[in-house]
Amino acid sequence: LCINNNMASNGLSYDGCNFFRQRLVLSTLSGKHVKIKNIRSKDDNPGLRDFEASFVRLLDKVTNGSRIEINQTGTMLFYQPGLLYGGSVEHDCNLQRSIGYYLEALLMLAPFMKTPLKATLRGVTNDPTDPTVDLLKSTALPLMKRFGIDGEGFDLKVVKRGMAPGGGGEVVFTCPVCRTMRPVQLTDPGKIKRIRGVAYSVRVSPQMGNRIVESARGVLNQFLPDIYIYTDHMKGANSGKSPGFGLTLVAETLDGCFLSAEMSSTPQGQGDSVLPEDLGRNCAKLLLQEVYRGGCVDSSNQSLALLLMTLGQQDVSKVLLGPLSPYTIEFLRHIRDFFQVMFKIKVQKPSEDERKGGEKVLMTCVGVGYSNINKTVK
Amino acid sequence: EVNTDEQKNTYSVEAVFVWALRWKEDLQQKAAEAFLRQQEAAPNLSKVVYGSVDSDEEDEELGGLFRVSRPHKSKRLQTNSVDCSRFPPDSSLNWNLEEILDSIRDCFVTGKWEEGQDAA
Repeated sequence: LCINNNMASNGLSYDGCNFFRQRLVLSTLSGKHVKIKNIRSKDDNPGLRDFEASFVRLLDKVTNGSRIEINQTGTMLFYQPGLLYGGSVEHDCNLQRSIGYYLEALLMLAPFMKTPLKATLRGVTNDPTDPTVDLLKSTALPLMKRFGIDGEGFDLKVVKRGMAPGGGGEVVFTCPVCRTMRPVQLTDPGKIKRIRGVAYSVRVSPQMGNRIVESARGVLNQFLPDIYIYTDHMKGANSGKSPGFGLTLVAETLDGCFLSAEMSSTPQGQGDSVLPEDLGRNCAKLLLQEVYRGGCVDSSNQSLALLLMTLGQQDVSKVLLGPLSPYTIEFLRHIRDFFQVMFKIKVQKPSEDERKGGEKVLMTCVGVGYSNINKTVK
Repeated sequence: EVNTDEQKNTYSVEAVFVWALRWKEDLQQKAAEAFLRQQEAAPNLSKVVYGSVDSDEEDEELGGLFRVSRPHKSKRLQTNSVDCSRFPPDSSLNWNLEEILDSIRDCFVTGKWEEGQDAA
């Protein structure tokens, strides 16, 4: 019922290129068309960039019957979403952004397809700007499982690694279709029992990985003995086109919540190179920062959790988050625009003798009872 | 309760002592007031999220008297900045300091456990 209402109502209009993916994703899920104006209209090089065009093409591939109109200068985009179709999709992601940029949106759409999605994405797997595929694999997927998205075919595989700027990586993301989202009560993350990680390197000495691990351990061992960081050194055809290395760290709590941090080396030819020791140490400190922020969902997956809460069955969902990121705050506004859902936001200040980091935010909402009308009934 | 008139007259040692401790009298109330002041000063998060975007263009008026001014410039900058979900770290926390490290000790199983809970 709710979906029909949305389809009948008018579309939405926004300014500028920021939050581009949020707007198109929520438009696709709600069925409301969207118009984005003044895209870099004051810029020397106005209009959509190649990576945004690439994103729109990907969206077109996973949907059926979408209508996309872009004006001549590329400063205005109109998007009338079609049905989420899914199926087998291959996409060469533009190298200006890493695969994480595209994948973040795909994670939000994948459970609501008509047929299970199998997406092969090629491009940059790791860069310093966006969440890397390694991070999404180890945090976003377990988060989605909490909402009932699970099954044999739920996987994200890094087939080839491709560092920025050259890329040459490949990942395969498969996701089963879901009929409804399970409401969740994630109000206490529990204590962190272990830290896992991946120190990856391509087209540099395999020793880089070990040097990263050593320095990261130095910081984290002050807190926990159970730390294991894998070294992943891909070679030959699986190592992409650019050299580089990096680290992804994930802290897992007793209650199955995941907090993560990561760092990638500076892309070749884009500034000062970074020592693996420094990278390891700084990344470990970033993880501590993430632990300080805390909550049941880490800062890069806040909006994914909030979306799945919104689309849940008509029941109360609660999730404890760390401080809201600017991206998440905008996402909440967009959820209100597209689904008329407003969250109850309650700040929880830490008590004086507590040593559990900074203040947290308890997010509560009632799901809209979204059901996947695209799914084939067998 | 000490009678102030009497205090002036007698001027005993005891009275002076009590007077000196006067500042302690409504400490709790003062603290409560300070807390409330701070609460009001700290922006309500719901308002931060949902409050400001209602009227993008026109200037909102409060009670027909005050005009709500908006940081137009910063908003404009934001509309065309990079679309990225990363939350940049808070640089004010120095993770080399022992006290900062201590502030998250109990997030780990190695930290202190609450009453009624244990590692088992």
